[in-house]
Amino acid sequence: MASERSFFTNGYALSSPAFTLVGLIALVPVLQLFASAFWSFTTESYTLANFTALLDSKMATQAFWRSIRVSLCVTVVTVLLGYPLAMGLLRAGSRMQSLLLTLLVFPLMVSVVVRAYGWLVVLSPSGVLNKLLLNLGIISEPLSLIHNEAAVIIGESQLLLPYMVLALVATLQKVDPSLEEASLSLGANPLTTFFRVIVPMSIPGLLSGTLMVFSLAITAFATPLLLGGGRTPMMTTLVYSFAFTTFEWDKAAAVGIVLAVLALFFVCVQRWAAKVGLKSFG
Amino acid sequence: MIGMSQANNYAAERMMWSASRGLLYLTILAGYIFLLAPIFIVVVASFTNDNYLLFPPKEFSLHWYYEVFSLSWFRSALLSSLVISVISTTISAAIGIFVARALARIPFRGKALVELVVLSPLLLPSVVLGFALFNFAVYFAIENNNFINLVAGHVLITIPFVVRSVWAAMAGADVSLEEASMSLGATPAQAFRDVVLPMARPGIIAGCILAFTYSFNDVTLSIFLAGSNTTTLPVQMMSHIETSGDPSPAAISSLMVGLTMIFFVIIAKTVGLKIFTDR
Repeated sequence: MASERSFFTNGYALSSPAFTLVGLIALVPVLQLFASAFWSFTTESYTLANFTALLDSKMATQAFWRSIRVSLCVTVVTVLLGYPLAMGLLRAGSRMQSLLLTLLVFPLMVSVVVRAYGWLVVLSPSGVLNKLLLNLGIISEPLSLIHNEAAVIIGESQLLLPYMVLALVATLQKVDPSLEEASLSLGANPLTTFFRVIVPMSIPGLLSGTLMVFSLAITAFATPLLLGGGRTPMMTTLVYSFAFTTFEWDKAAAVGIVLAVLALFFVCVQRWAAKVGLKSFG
Repeated sequence: MIGMSQANNYAAERMMWSASRGLLYLTILAGYIFLLAPIFIVVVASFTNDNYLLFPPKEFSLHWYYEVFSLSWFRSALLSSLVISVISTTISAAIGIFVARALARIPFRGKALVELVVLSPLLLPSVVLGFALFNFAVYFAIENNNFINLVAGHVLITIPFVVRSVWAAMAGADVSLEEASMSLGATPAQAFRDVVLPMARPGIIAGCILAFTYSFNDVTLSIFLAGSNTTTLPVQMMSHIETSGDPSPAAISSLMVGLTMIFFVIIAKTVGLKIFTDR
């Protein structure tokens, strides 16, 4: 058959435009960045100097730990809010369920800048929350709720909560509802049932949601820039300020590589966990 | 006595039931307020007449919408954003549909590598990709060709959306129709054009909308590639938010939310919300 040689049945021919394009304009620049992170312009040789310079820089180490700390807090917040939302979604009737799902995933499509701006409107000194508290007489002076880590945690949690809920729902919907009914009818109260039956059954979803939210939190950029302000640099905003404020491109490359390695590590663990999870629970 | 304490136990248990159910509902409500309030408040507050944002506004007016369209930075950034997103989505769709076809239907060696490379722009942090592209452009002294650089960058970050969506549609399509068309004498090209593509249409539409939305909203990659020659709306909006306190970003935000709603409805009607839940 002549079709054997057609473009439309040849995997390599079909893949080559996208493969070549992404390879040339994404992977080559990333490899170049990798090389330049290990390159010293002063000694003209490969070196770890750019990374040791980061270790010596107080701002860089603070940004590293702040990124880790903020991402951990975001993960905890999304887990705590994620379980009730996931259970509500699973138990709702079909019309309520599609409404809840719509309201959950719609924010995912809304611009990150718009959502960060929304939090600025709510939390800024002249914002909605401060006005409300002032009018109610609860406070006498506006609280400073933005340009700190808490604001970044709030903003990123709102950004990433839907991913956690979807990950939990994906696992929980496979759980046989009769297990929960059995636990309840055998006399366990709802809280015991939740912690002893539902949570253990949801471990694969919890794991994949946690890894996904953590890696998305640590790579978030616009939210820490707008809500964190200049005084709370994180790894992503540090890459930007090294690149365009202080013009230390070798340091920007080094921070970028650390960030990329961290993010890819979590992606790998998540994929591995998904495979293992499928095997043992499938 | 025993009966009494048992009755008390039941009552206590029932209270705990309804209390825990009430707590669950309250947390769900709080969660949804947390998700939606910032978006809702910006949209409502954007209709203010004053020079500052107030929620709810004292009187509703379109003042800031007129104001925004009279700003030259807004008009030029909106235009560049639209042009960049349309061009990059078109290029991504053109090459993404082919690779999706290969991944969905054709067995070949190195398939896993193709998948990894083609989806890699989503696996890498955008900040890293953005700085790497900037660095690369500097190396060739083309960092001031902002428009071309932005289009190239946006093609990279939109390809994965097209590929995943079209791949899912093609993998779910009935292969026997294609085989039937070929055994009736259609060439592979004809079968692709007349059978494979029409069957994958919902996936193509949804993939293009997701790609366009992601491109139009992107700020992380764009901020490294934008410059004095060409910039995008989210980048301009972000710098405006940082330097000025006027309500114009609220009007822009609510225009963007409106556009997002239209796209969201199209996706819900073509492939449904499962595109967000299956991953």
